[in-house]
Amino acid sequence: MNGWGWVAFAYATAYGSLAVFAGSIAWRIRNTRRSIGETE
Amino acid sequence: MQAQTLNRRWPWVAIVLSLTIAFVFAMISPAADSLQGFERVRIMYVHVPAAWLAYLAFFVTFGGSVGYLITRNLRWDRIAAASAEIGVYFTGLAIALGMIWGKSTWGVWWTWDARLTLTAIMFFVYLGYLALRRTTDDSVLRAGRAAVLGVLGAVQIPLVHFSVIWWRGLHQGPSVVRADGPAIQDPLMLTALIVGVLAFTVVYVSLMVKRIELIHLEDRKAAIDQSIERPVAGEAVTVPDLGGSS
Repeated sequence: MNGWGWVAFAYATAYGSLAVFAGSIAWRIRNTRRSIGETE
Repeated sequence: MQAQTLNRRWPWVAIVLSLTIAFVFAMISPAADSLQGFERVRIMYVHVPAAWLAYLAFFVTFGGSVGYLITRNLRWDRIAAASAEIGVYFTGLAIALGMIWGKSTWGVWWTWDARLTLTAIMFFVYLGYLALRRTTDDSVLRAGRAAVLGVLGAVQIPLVHFSVIWWRGLHQGPSVVRADGPAIQDPLMLTALIVGVLAFTVVYVSLMVKRIELIHLEDRKAAIDQSIERPVAGEAVTVPDLGGSS
């Protein structure tokens, strides 16, 4: 893999995992709000 | 309604904006670096901020733990818990990005270097912190146990940071915070690194806001669940008539 390939791998790991982590928090907030009957 | 929506969504907007700016700075910074070699140096602009944010998050966990032990106010425990979860994420990310850097420059994914090993131990200790929080539903007991580990665990932060100075290994020494000034001479490269650290700090603060919001919601849900009376054995079960004299 060339230099750009490693850079793309690293940024995909960083930004992709961050999207999943932040998304999981957003998802849990949404579900908890719904379960206590609060509107978004 | 619009103000409420904006109030709830600003952390997500801040995350997207800050990471976009950091990405642009990382990509336009000069690639050539005589020590680290061409394009791969851009990995540093996410690896270093992730590692610094792990320190910051665990330091906040330490502060929240001390705050709880002094005041016995659960607000401090919520801050410590939220920060520990985010810190575990950033530590895992720093390790993963370090492995990518290691394979591309050292030729190996992992080596038992002091910095790498101590970071891995710190990762597992704080995973243990999160597991410890799940051992009881009693919020006071949980806060007390977690606070003790939150204080003890913080000993690792200086150990990990100074490990590159105290023990010789493959991992390079400090690049920015040094007695003789930053090792990075190119102002654009230094700017890209600082912008990366600032952007990840904005991400951390935004995630903290949302994570604490989630803890408040979960507490409200638990309170509602407890206030609802439920039949112990289900509605289909009735008390048996034993036919005794009354």
